[in-house]
Amino acid sequence: MKNRENILNKANELRWEIGESLHDNLLESIYKFATEISSRVIAVDVSKKSKSFDSKLDQILTSSKFGFPIMFLLLALVFWLTIEGANIPSSLLSSFLIDSIYPQLKTFSSNIGLPFWVDGILIDGCYLAMAWVIAVMLPPMAIFFPLFTLLEDFGYLPRVAFNMDFLFKRAGAHGKQALTMAMGFGCNAAAVISTRIIDSPRERLIAIITNNFSLCNGRWPMQILIATIFIGALAPSHLAGLFSAAAVVGITLLGILLALLVSWSLSKTILKGEASAFSLELPPYRPPRILKTLYTSLIDRTIFVLWRAVVFAVPAGAMIWLVSNITFEGLSIAEWFINWANPFGLLIGLNGVILLAYIIAIPANEIVLPTILMLTVLVAGTPEIGAGSGVMFELDSAAATANVLSLGEWSLLTGVSIMLFSLMHNPCSTTIYTIYKETGSVKWTFVAAVLPLLIGFVFCFFLAQIWRLFG
Amino acid sequence: MNLNRLTHAGNQCENCPAHNIPNLKKLGINMDKVDQVIALAGNPNTGKSTVFNNLTGLKQHTGNWPGKTVTRAEGTFEYNTKRFKIVDLPGTYSLLSTSTDEEIARDFILFGQPDVTVIVADSTRLERNLNLTLQVLEITDRAILCLNLMDEAARHRISIDTKQLSKELGIPVIEAEARQKKGMNELLQSIDEIISGRYKCKPFRMNKLSPQIEHSLKQLEVLIKKEFPNMPNSRWVALRLLEGDQKIIDSIRSGEIGLIHSYNQNDLSNNIYEKNTV
Amino acid sequence: MNLFLSTLILFISTILLVFFLKKNKILIQWKNRKNDKRRIKIEDALKYLYNCEYNKLTCSLNSIAGSLSITSNEAANLIKILEEMGMIATAGESFILTAEGKRYALRVIRTHRLWEKYLADETSISETDWHSLAEIKEHKITSEEAENLSAQIGNPLFDPHGDPIPTAEGIIPRRKGIPLTQLEKGDFGKIVHLEDEPSAIYQQLVAEGLYIGQQVKLIDKNNERLHFEANNESCFLAPSFAKNVTVEMLPDLSLVKKSFKRLSDLKLGEKGVVVGISKACRGKQRRRLLDLGLVPGSVVKAEIKSVGGDPTGFNIRGALIAIRKKQSDQIFIKNESE
Repeated sequence: MKNRENILNKANELRWEIGESLHDNLLESIYKFATEISSRVIAVDVSKKSKSFDSKLDQILTSSKFGFPIMFLLLALVFWLTIEGANIPSSLLSSFLIDSIYPQLKTFSSNIGLPFWVDGILIDGCYLAMAWVIAVMLPPMAIFFPLFTLLEDFGYLPRVAFNMDFLFKRAGAHGKQALTMAMGFGCNAAAVISTRIIDSPRERLIAIITNNFSLCNGRWPMQILIATIFIGALAPSHLAGLFSAAAVVGITLLGILLALLVSWSLSKTILKGEASAFSLELPPYRPPRILKTLYTSLIDRTIFVLWRAVVFAVPAGAMIWLVSNITFEGLSIAEWFINWANPFGLLIGLNGVILLAYIIAIPANEIVLPTILMLTVLVAGTPEIGAGSGVMFELDSAAATANVLSLGEWSLLTGVSIMLFSLMHNPCSTTIYTIYKETGSVKWTFVAAVLPLLIGFVFCFFLAQIWRLFG
Repeated sequence: MNLNRLTHAGNQCENCPAHNIPNLKKLGINMDKVDQVIALAGNPNTGKSTVFNNLTGLKQHTGNWPGKTVTRAEGTFEYNTKRFKIVDLPGTYSLLSTSTDEEIARDFILFGQPDVTVIVADSTRLERNLNLTLQVLEITDRAILCLNLMDEAARHRISIDTKQLSKELGIPVIEAEARQKKGMNELLQSIDEIISGRYKCKPFRMNKLSPQIEHSLKQLEVLIKKEFPNMPNSRWVALRLLEGDQKIIDSIRSGEIGLIHSYNQNDLSNNIYEKNTV
Repeated sequence: MNLFLSTLILFISTILLVFFLKKNKILIQWKNRKNDKRRIKIEDALKYLYNCEYNKLTCSLNSIAGSLSITSNEAANLIKILEEMGMIATAGESFILTAEGKRYALRVIRTHRLWEKYLADETSISETDWHSLAEIKEHKITSEEAENLSAQIGNPLFDPHGDPIPTAEGIIPRRKGIPLTQLEKGDFGKIVHLEDEPSAIYQQLVAEGLYIGQQVKLIDKNNERLHFEANNESCFLAPSFAKNVTVEMLPDLSLVKKSFKRLSDLKLGEKGVVVGISKACRGKQRRRLLDLGLVPGSVVKAEIKSVGGDPTGFNIRGALIAIRKKQSDQIFIKNESE
């Protein structure tokens, strides 16, 4: 025991003698050895080398002329492939899970004589919620994540962070936040985990709090559908597609802008500090291994994220069924809430149905739209569309969706507001839980959950007021 | 002293695993049904996880390091009738700084005493990868350098004299192209050779730091050796003390660092044998 | 509408109230406030007395009152309390610390300097704020928390101003060096300490670009100002400012560095050899740069600039590393031929 303390005391004494330069000296020595060794074993043939492919590519990808256009085109391509490619498998999955399996389950349960409420909660609630999440989330994720991983493996993503860094530096944030935001376009929960690449705690918190402004997979389908119905309708039919696409891109860019603005204000107020050091290795370009990437990104990311979404969607399904089937003085709980919240909803350009849908859809953003449709039908009292009280369903075409929404007295303002609100509201519960696990702090989880919501309320309120003033 | 040595030697046998079971348990590694444990270290972006996937296939699972938010991947495989567990350490440039990742990698190699530590390096950037390699060799003497991405090095017209490198470092150096699954068999063979004792590593140790540091290191090392005679890497421990590394300070104070045993069990038993015959 | 809004407001305010009550223990804090104030005064007084002793100055009731900005009546009260606590003893007109008082003072100073070191190394809080934040924190941290902090940041020996951090046992070595004002014309010196109090002067020193480890050469001095060279730039300071800069004489001219270029000066395609990293780059940032191979002797080449012009990608020992200008400003280089 005494010997051990002796060792420590001696060490302390010696440390005072050496001073602070030990670490510098040590690294210098290690690299000196490394240089000596490698000078004896490495030979580089410089004779034929003029300018390598890698550095030529780097010069183009980071040039002030082409850097950003290439970046936007590539990201647009990834999104386009995801949106287009996900349509067919999504409808196949939903026709299988909802049109084939669902009726069979219903028949089965009536055959064995389940009480209506057990059947309702389990099949109309839990099963449908799960089926919906799988049908909507799985295909885009299975396309988006591998594409993204391919870009990552090729070595392009670090170049994006490199190019975007000056914006983030001005916002007092970390350059790698660009990478985590790009991940957020896939899934905010996964992106929050990916902020581990940022080693300064302050900047990591900023990245976590602002990640929600990257539209995630769960929100893309609704953005696209609403844009098609409300924005596309404004344009002549041959330009409708372009118009609605532009609207979605606009919302995406607004999200990036908001993330930068919020980062900036955070680093000027509660997370005060200057942008800290940023060093990023730009790895050499490597030809991506497509099959391998498909496999690992499917295992590592897709299944992982999907599983968590399903876990949260199942209880939500049960809740939807319950709130629309438990009645109180002749009205279901859902209707009570809708009537009560409607005035506030209208104040911010939305309505009571949308607010309730957002509360129910806290577990998973992808069930917002089906919940809205179902609740609209419920309140407007046209049970012949869809499947009945408290049952989530998907309408086959945008036109049918538009029909239902017209029942709910939706206007262009409602459409624009819901697109904005979808960008600016609290993250889904999976993400909130992940934020809590990553930060380990109730306070920051609270900030990350409430801040976007407040911004959304304020933004939508002013939009609605100004819109009505001039409209 | 002698008694200590004898009991220590009593547990020794040819081909005995060198890893430290009690410490591994503390690090959250379950050693049931496993004979040997391999650690995988390396810089980020060196294809470390590709090597890991190649060796383990589907037999892997991920979790977190105990008490940390850093993901840990571990997997199992069999080779030559032995069952191996392989642990993927976080990718780091160094083991000297204070980031969580580096602490985890460092602790695992120091306290867990894996039977072999495989260092995956990017052949196109060997010089910088040697930084980590040399640091690992200060802690453990059972290591293999796996030169990954040899195809990329060829594309950049870089050639590496691996035989010479192996001689310089005193450990096996394996050429690999993990994405093409090339070099994996050689890697496994090499692991087996170290474990079976057919290959004796004589790792390169950085012996000439600045005179002032060397002077301080020597004074401290003497004290450490006196208290913990079996510690194989007392010089490195002394260096960490001079840097004020709290983890090492704590483990000296608690004596826990004394649980690290020498890898060179064969040497020990030889000593005993010589004594008996003389 | 009214019903909804009022419920919402009530709900949110309840959450906020519960949250803050739980988190910050407001009620308990209320009661402790008075005690805290007393503790702060006591600790500040001890610190002041310790500094007087360290700098071999005598201190009186008035100087205590002045430094703590309290009336001399309050100061007299404070002295009485300290005497009762056995922290100080009176010696005629002045006061000296007892062993107990000295230990206490050193503990406060240790906490203060540890916290400054923490702010400098681990956070991106501006240099001019370190001292004032540490002034607040030093009264709030328990000694156990201070030890944990020390362990977390690698048991540092010096604070970012170059002051030694006393050990937990209260051992502190004597400061080396002389005030800048004592250098003669043509003398070379290395800055070892920048006094952080008063903060107006400290901010001026920081604004001049001075940092620990910087080499300076005295060009000229008179009663009004000192003219010296630091990093190849001319600096002028009034003697009242310059006395807050402590330097170590550099008698051996071979130790004196010439003026160096910075990494950020490299144009695309140009190469340079690293000479060193400025001491102004600390903690994790410094270690990261060293790990990446930015050590003396490394050849570095500027390869690409990002769309916005910053950061720049440098080829360092075979790898392409992007570094912001703020960091590349802190890395000194020379031409390959030199």
